[in-house]
Amino acid sequence: MDCRTAHAKIEEKADGFLPQDADGELSRHLSGCSACAAEDAAASATGPLLRALAGIRAKEKAPALDAMWTRVRAGIEEGREARMPPSWIARWAWIPAAVALAVLALLFYPTGTDRQPFHPTTFDVSVEDIESEAATVALVDKGEDLPRVIWIIEDGKT
Amino acid sequence: MARRKSQGRPGAPALPILLLLLLLAPVPSEAANTVSVEVGAVYASNEGRSMDPALGIIRGKLQSMFNYTSYRMLDRKRRALAIGETGEFELPGRRMMRATPLSTERNKVRLTIRISDGPRNLLTTTLGLSRGGMVLVGGPSHQAGVLILIISAE
Repeated sequence: MDCRTAHAKIEEKADGFLPQDADGELSRHLSGCSACAAEDAAASATGPLLRALAGIRAKEKAPALDAMWTRVRAGIEEGREARMPPSWIARWAWIPAAVALAVLALLFYPTGTDRQPFHPTTFDVSVEDIESEAATVALVDKGEDLPRVIWIIEDGKT
Repeated sequence: MARRKSQGRPGAPALPILLLLLLLAPVPSEAANTVSVEVGAVYASNEGRSMDPALGIIRGKLQSMFNYTSYRMLDRKRRALAIGETGEFELPGRRMMRATPLSTERNKVRLTIRISDGPRNLLTTTLGLSRGGMVLVGGPSHQAGVLILIISAE
């Protein structure tokens, strides 16, 4: 193993990515190369140093984090208190609204345009009198199951 | 800590109750001395072969009674008329129909019908109709065919 390869392996070792089978080969090189051994020692010491530094920073920030969580909890509690049960007025206000809607629906219920087609229940019709000043009229009766017809003949047309 | 079960929206029951109100609400029924007169103006001709679905079950009756090949509903009007009140129905071709309920007795309605074409009186008749009954008045010329009026009273 040359020094260039050893440097790459040292970086992988420091990051924890060096496979175990490659560790022996690296160790053999380090035992015979003082420069690479010094590089390995420096890299190995950096990790614990960073972890110690992170711990110190966390301890420094702990009071501020506690204060932030306290504010978050207080905000959640305030939100709960704000969602108080509705008063009886708010709870039953929909009833007059529903009645008003029902009245409007009845008032504006379509009655003229969308009616069902003609559906006579009977063709029983009596004609008491029939007359015309400008035409001839005829009463046509084709049976009980057919409607009676008054036929107007204008100007002699049939 | 036991949590109170969350309540639904306060207005949640509104829809079913509104529907119930609509179902139970009294449909404005026509008073006993009020007659609903309806007039449908049908254009019958031999132009093409068609039957307007708006004519409902009357289609078969028209085909069996007349020899026209085409029937088309031009207009349909309804008036609720009190006894003695005259309702005017404009008809195609600037004609006019006036209907006056004279009396109602049980299920029967006496009705005077007047049809005019300008100053000319084409028809004056007094009919005794059962409520839900129907009579046809036809013959006035219209375009290439004739008008057939479907007159009913309820």
